[in-house]
Amino acid sequence: MKKHFLGLCAALALAGASGAEADTIKVGIVAPFSGPFAIYGKQFKEGLEVFVKDYGTKAGAHDVEFVYKDSTGPNPDVSKQVTQELLIKDGVKYLGGYVFTPNALAVAPLITQSQTPTVIFNAATSVITKKSPFFVRTSFTLPQNSGPMADWAIANGIKTVVTAVTDYGPGVDAEKTFIKEFEAKGGKIVDKIRMPIKTTDFAPFMQRIKSDAPNALFVFIPAGPTAFSFTKSYSDNGLKAAGIQFLGTGDVDDETTLQALGDAAIGIKTAYPYSAAHKSALNDKLIAELAALHPDSKANFATVDAYDGAYVLYKMIAAAGTDGDAAIKAAKGLKWESARGPVSIDANNRSITENIYIREVAKNAKGELENKEIFTFKDVPDLGQAK
Amino acid sequence: MNTFASICIDGVAYGMILFMISVGLSVTMGLMRVVNLAHGGFAMLGGALAHYGMAALGLNFAVSALLAILVVVALSAPMERVLYRPLYRMGELQQVLATIGITFLMIASVSLWLGTSILQIRLPASLSGAVNLGFRTLPADRVFVIVAGIVVIGALYMLIERTRFGVKLRAAVDERDAAACLGIDTSRLFSRTFALGAALAALGGIMGAGLLPIDAYYPLRYMVLFLVVVAVGGLGSIAGSFVAALGLGVLDTAARYLAPDYGTIFFYVAMIVILGWRPHGLLGRGEA
Amino acid sequence: MSLIPRDRRLRDLAILLGMALVLTAAFYAFPDNLAFATRVIIMMIFVLSLDFVLGVAGVSTLGHSALFGAGAYAAGLCAAHGWNEPLLGVVAGAAAAAFVALLSGLFLMRTRGLTLLMLTIAVTEVLGELANKFSDITGGADGLDIVMGPILGVFKFDFRGQVGYVYAACMLLLVFAFLRILIASPFGLAARGIKESPARMRAIGAPVYWRLVAIYTLGGALAGIAGALSAQSTSLVSPAVFDFQLSANALIMLILGGAGRLYGALFGTLVFMSVHEVAASVDPFNWLFIIGALLLAVVYVAPAGLLSLPDLVKRQLRFSR
Repeated sequence: MKKHFLGLCAALALAGASGAEADTIKVGIVAPFSGPFAIYGKQFKEGLEVFVKDYGTKAGAHDVEFVYKDSTGPNPDVSKQVTQELLIKDGVKYLGGYVFTPNALAVAPLITQSQTPTVIFNAATSVITKKSPFFVRTSFTLPQNSGPMADWAIANGIKTVVTAVTDYGPGVDAEKTFIKEFEAKGGKIVDKIRMPIKTTDFAPFMQRIKSDAPNALFVFIPAGPTAFSFTKSYSDNGLKAAGIQFLGTGDVDDETTLQALGDAAIGIKTAYPYSAAHKSALNDKLIAELAALHPDSKANFATVDAYDGAYVLYKMIAAAGTDGDAAIKAAKGLKWESARGPVSIDANNRSITENIYIREVAKNAKGELENKEIFTFKDVPDLGQAK
Repeated sequence: MNTFASICIDGVAYGMILFMISVGLSVTMGLMRVVNLAHGGFAMLGGALAHYGMAALGLNFAVSALLAILVVVALSAPMERVLYRPLYRMGELQQVLATIGITFLMIASVSLWLGTSILQIRLPASLSGAVNLGFRTLPADRVFVIVAGIVVIGALYMLIERTRFGVKLRAAVDERDAAACLGIDTSRLFSRTFALGAALAALGGIMGAGLLPIDAYYPLRYMVLFLVVVAVGGLGSIAGSFVAALGLGVLDTAARYLAPDYGTIFFYVAMIVILGWRPHGLLGRGEA
Repeated sequence: MSLIPRDRRLRDLAILLGMALVLTAAFYAFPDNLAFATRVIIMMIFVLSLDFVLGVAGVSTLGHSALFGAGAYAAGLCAAHGWNEPLLGVVAGAAAAAFVALLSGLFLMRTRGLTLLMLTIAVTEVLGELANKFSDITGGADGLDIVMGPILGVFKFDFRGQVGYVYAACMLLLVFAFLRILIASPFGLAARGIKESPARMRAIGAPVYWRLVAIYTLGGALAGIAGALSAQSTSLVSPAVFDFQLSANALIMLILGGAGRLYGALFGTLVFMSVHEVAASVDPFNWLFIIGALLLAVVYVAPAGLLSLPDLVKRQLRFSR
């Protein structure tokens, strides 16, 4: 099925290039569709399919068509190559996707030169939108999540924290924002741990945290196998029993890995802009539609980022057609109600402003684990841009 | 003092998992002289099958793990015959190419079958608590892994030192051609050893799933880690693998306790130093 | 130079001309795929350097990306600090990679086999970790983005990638010509001799160890050129340049085409990357099946690489007659 769909896309792309249809505007989606990160591509594509089901293939007076390209993984060479091909060969006028920061940064010169509005569906470093005036982001940035987590911790009587982050750019960003916010409000950081990217056994860190005996632990680990073993290690080593709370960003327990974490994950608190357990008619609709299209799939942040990304793309296309400058103007300040809650595109930095929810892992009525929203920070902008 | 004890305990637990997955690789590489990059694939298959048995068929952990290992063994026999046998006489590079190809096929099969997300193996309730050691606690599944590791090395020792199979195996590892001349059926020996290696990998994959989570890309992600253990231990040496796995486990754990910021660098520099000092591994002999 | 027989020199010239023709034809035939073509060419340079080290001199390595990465970061840092003339970056990349190769080679070339494979991996991992660690200098995981100036102050990199393609193609021709000459030189013959039998070379009094260090350093310089080109054409360097996967892929491409003959490196790279590109765009979810099957087929049918296929077929035909 997927195969046919992509084949069809390719065929349509060729047909389009030969000028068969006058007013079809093509949108290139660059994301990993193969390799260890293929889950992102899959979630994006499903999010877009649900969107097309809701809004059809027409944006204003224009027909819209998505063209998918595989960026394989954190690989800026490939990302730039496929983007260049989309622009030159497929003649796309808009771009979307981009999971990793280097992949997004590598295309900044291209989209600036060709004035192609590009909606980032994931890459979460604040600096990206500064690198080209044609970037718009519908995901989040790391400071956007870790700042509110610190505020919540203070408000809920947590006085001492140990931070544990993966030792690379995003991890360090998350750590710094959290510490700045937490200390500014009178909290005390007992210990800072930076864990090597390739850590497989987290037991040593757990022992260290345990002997530090803080009120809580703040963690950032990118989604994937390491986040899984970290979370498992937290409960196995008795930190939970010792009363050390688990605070983190939603990367550690997104909906596609949540069930695998098992009951040991109950009580984990994370900050994130979207939970599949969000209570709203829009979210219920999105989840029901996804279930109808792909019964085995689970909606997560990537699904919604792509859905909202498509919303922004459609608005830009409807307003400006192929005029990149006008499209970006149309996107600035755009406000709408998303499945994740009310959102808007910041007119200055073109990143999304959204609610950040503090969620707690709990069992729902069906006996499955869910990220239950327990507190809302309203309209949080990209805190990383402020400095 | 507590830190020191903790390093030892956590390091040994980690090392045992490394040992269980890597020892099969060491034996097969030592005997068959095949650079088998697909070894982690057997661990992944074991884990994936165990996951499937529990999640889809509703079997309990022990039954599911046992069945998974049996299926892996059953799969490994025809694979050895069809895919690996022609490789024995080929060059190192062709072996690398072929076994990477096999790894790719394994990854593609599992991701087609079960997707690319993490395949969880839920341990029985009796193994999911923590054991109190007085000065600290240790996860029960680590205790289980340590015990399993000791049982495996004990059983392997008996097998290698006390059985006819072991005698033949040792003879063939040392002098393959001479062993064949003396009437040892090396072809059968190879099949059995290969199956043994695959079974050990599957067992290690299942046991270690809490630490090295099973997913389709498992064989590529941890390929280097397993090869490091084998190279440091010395090809074909079970005791070498054991010492290397525990040593690296303790070393890596120590680095994480004492200098987490430079953890990865420390690990690889240590490996460079060890291999610089003993190029054929701690307990390896002759040509690697 | 004078040792190269005249007819050989002519043949080399013809081959170079042929390659230049193919590269030019590709330029006009695939005007919309120049970005991909450029990536293939850069990879060809990288695999050629691996062929020299591994195919010709028999040094098995799974850590060639250490040298690629060193070249990429050197070129990237040059550009980031104001020296953004690309050729200068290539020189810097080659020098930096040669330096890394020399330093690590002094140690690596004392070992062989599995040990050597693992040590080369270790060197790469350490470098990758350093690139991540010193993010103030390298940009860390986010990457170091750079702006390239025009080549020789004249040719500006253009949007369609035409200048980038021609630039990389010229580099490929230069590297290829250099390697052809080198392999036919006494130095190259010694390298082959070491692969055939280090013991015999030692017996005739050749300083095998130092030769190997020199070979590795030279191969490193070439890998550094590839790294520098990659950094310049992407205008970004990220720690992905130190990926184990990159070393492994280069090895796959080399063995696929056939090691030790230079053409194998070119052909293997072209086939692997094209199959990957097509398979991944037709069915990104299952393309590994195709690649995996391709690798197995090559090993079992033509273990000496795809380039040996014509010979194999010829032999088969003669046999059946």
